[in-house]
Amino acid sequence: MDENKAVQYLDSLIGRTLRVHATDTRIFVGTFKCTDAARNIILASTYEYRFPSPSAVRDAATGTEDPAAASAVDAQNIKVNMTSRFIGLVVVPGQHITKIELEETPRQIRAREALKK
Amino acid sequence: MPLVSQSVVPRDITDEFTVAASKLKTGQLVKDEYFTLFEAVGALEIMDSKMDSGYLGPGENHAQALEDDYDMTRELAPEEVLGVMDGLLCHEMGWHMGHPLSQTLFTSLYLDKLLWPVPKTLDEAHFLRGHTANTTEEPAMVHLVLRAYCMALVKCCDFVHARVATEYYFEEEDFVTQLYNRSLLSQFEPQSFYDLLNRAISWVDEQRGKVDEAVREAIRTRLLFRREFLLALEQDVDVIQTRSKEHFLFCLSHLDDLTKSTSLGKDVPDSFSLKIQRKLASTVPPRPMVNINFDDALAHLKRLCQDAVDLQEIIDYRGPYNLKVTIWTLLSRKPQPSVYIRSLVQTLIVNNMTILGAVPVKDFLYDELAELVLPSSILLQANMDEIELPSDPRFQIAKMMDVFVKRLSQPFVDTFRSACLNRCRIRRTVCHTIADWDNLQMEAKDLDEQLRTLSNEPPLMLANGDATYSYPLSSWAYHHKLNQFRLILQLGFELSVYAPEELPGMYWYLSHICSTHLGHIDRIRTFTVGTAKRNITEMATKKRGALERHAALQKSLRLLERLTTQIVAVDAFAISLHALYVLLARHRVLPTASGAQAYSSDRLRYELRMKPFLQITLPELVPYDEYHREATLEGDSDETVLERATKAISEARKAWEATLANGPFMQDSGGEEKPAPAIEEDWKRDAKDTMRACIGASIAIETVKKALKGNASSAQSQDSANVSVNLRVSIPETGTKARWHDWWVVPQVSQVTVGSKT
Repeated sequence: MDENKAVQYLDSLIGRTLRVHATDTRIFVGTFKCTDAARNIILASTYEYRFPSPSAVRDAATGTEDPAAASAVDAQNIKVNMTSRFIGLVVVPGQHITKIELEETPRQIRAREALKK
Repeated sequence: MPLVSQSVVPRDITDEFTVAASKLKTGQLVKDEYFTLFEAVGALEIMDSKMDSGYLGPGENHAQALEDDYDMTRELAPEEVLGVMDGLLCHEMGWHMGHPLSQTLFTSLYLDKLLWPVPKTLDEAHFLRGHTANTTEEPAMVHLVLRAYCMALVKCCDFVHARVATEYYFEEEDFVTQLYNRSLLSQFEPQSFYDLLNRAISWVDEQRGKVDEAVREAIRTRLLFRREFLLALEQDVDVIQTRSKEHFLFCLSHLDDLTKSTSLGKDVPDSFSLKIQRKLASTVPPRPMVNINFDDALAHLKRLCQDAVDLQEIIDYRGPYNLKVTIWTLLSRKPQPSVYIRSLVQTLIVNNMTILGAVPVKDFLYDELAELVLPSSILLQANMDEIELPSDPRFQIAKMMDVFVKRLSQPFVDTFRSACLNRCRIRRTVCHTIADWDNLQMEAKDLDEQLRTLSNEPPLMLANGDATYSYPLSSWAYHHKLNQFRLILQLGFELSVYAPEELPGMYWYLSHICSTHLGHIDRIRTFTVGTAKRNITEMATKKRGALERHAALQKSLRLLERLTTQIVAVDAFAISLHALYVLLARHRVLPTASGAQAYSSDRLRYELRMKPFLQITLPELVPYDEYHREATLEGDSDETVLERATKAISEARKAWEATLANGPFMQDSGGEEKPAPAIEEDWKRDAKDTMRACIGASIAIETVKKALKGNASSAQSQDSANVSVNLRVSIPETGTKARWHDWWVVPQVSQVTVGSKT
């Protein structure tokens, strides 16, 4: 990928919703606004997602009714929602990023695959 | 075309992204074209402990990130319940004082448990949410008593929040309304909260003998206080109808009990935690907990209750002049009434285009015009409802007056409402609105000219034979504009806007505005007197309505007289301080804020101070050279200046005495009993403080006189300005004891006895 292509690629992501995973396991979901050579990422209108705390998982497993966790007991598997909150405009420094995901709708997926052909 | 589900699918793009980013040059950005660097600066940096409220320190493990080790099920001793209650009260007052909830009440784990997740029913809001319930019996001290207190406290905050948020206030300056995506139980009816409190109170009553009596009584008092406080806040603007002070008075009478018994409580510091900030929807960096001590919290609460009681004195409508006096006096209290009170007053002043819940805005404006410039005038009596013939001049007058009312109502009511802002904002707002009033005056002048022909106003013949007309509407607007000029200057003194070296000039300017204003009031009076004279002949012929007209005219003349006395008092005091400061500056004993090397100069400072007035057409801006001549009293000898100061200060003292004797309010002919005792008390104190300032100024003038005399006799120098006088001058700051009155900067002048030159 040459520089032009790289810029073009990154430009195509501007305004899209990214899920940026941080080294401390939190996930930041927001609108991609800006990046640079160090892979620092600026997201707007961001929500912070955090894995449920062990106690919430425990409560879900024991079947305590907790409307917050919206838990559903299902034989051995339990489902607990991640906790989230709005934090607005953030910059995630490159060195703290472990994974970047792009949110796509099925339509966008199809459009992308059509382009590849 | 088949329907497609719009559910989003994440796709891992880490590698592509990383490769693409690595191709960028250092400093090269790929960004949204509308995204600016300026915005980027505001972004919170994730994983930075100072910026990222969700950041976990190296010692903290993930399990502890959100969960506090605090055990919600634990039983609290009665002393501890007391401690938590008082801790919450301190945080509540901290919020009232302007700190965010995230740093005050929302640090309480008990409140957090009640409020998050947002409860759908009131029963859902309890401390044991998410815990395996029903296994052990719930300790009532916590789950009945403390819960009831907490719930009612949150509801109190809900009422305060609702009131403040509907009015003008400055976010983060006066108050923070941010709720971090939580609710203050606003969806629940107040009655349930009283039920909770009542249940708690009767349970506490049953504990007599089982719990330490002093502690039990202390808890009971807090529950009672909370109930009354909630009742008082629920009353809110309904006070217009209820006229009830009882709840706030009850709160006031129990504050001493709270103070006395707080020492019985035991703090439970673990029940407050900053970790909650990690769960709050917040776009700001983490901030420390605010700790207000109990005495400060109680002092704030006490002021709030007292102001709430006294603000009832505003509600009885006795004309615009009296309303302005009551509002200004109440809101000039030190410390300034809290933002809740100020918001409440704003709503009382005007709500749904009605003043004090009783007077339509149009009537209010007409009362004001009748008081000042149009006593018993056809302009205010013309009514379209009665006259339907479009060719009738009265119909046309009514139509034009409606235009005037539409245009002027809002700005006029705002001159009352602006008093409810914080002091700095009042000045700033007036600096802006003064330009609007200049335009309003111009527009009113056009209307005046048209109305004059419709009403057949007889001209007033001047001595030189010229005819002149009263221009009532524009005269009135000009009067208000001059009031605003004076307010900007006086608030400037109060807010320590001016450097010491500016004081001679600013007091000169104040006196300049006052004398302009006095001239203007004289003009209004001339026309009122003219009308009164014509009316006397009508009275003699027993014309219909002549007696009522006479009464209205006399009332208006009394108000003009009252205003004259007040402005003369301000003028004289300003003249005297101006002269005194000129002397101090001449002899170089006046402290200066700028150094000798400073870039600032008198001319630049003058330019800056006149900025709000630059676009004002009337009164005209004083050119700098003229200002400089006047402000330094160029050409006047020290003796002349001294005499000017002495004369003016004695005149000021007389005028202030007269003002004080006039009292705060315009009396109706009925001569009713004191309608607003608390406000009157404050107003008198203010006038007396001004008189103290006058006395302080006379002493300072005497000291300067003595020093200058001593100098003249010992040095016998030709050029007295070059001989240093042995005086020490200090300018007392606002709020200190030596500053008698905020609006009057009276220097403290003392003679230096040691080290004098021979």
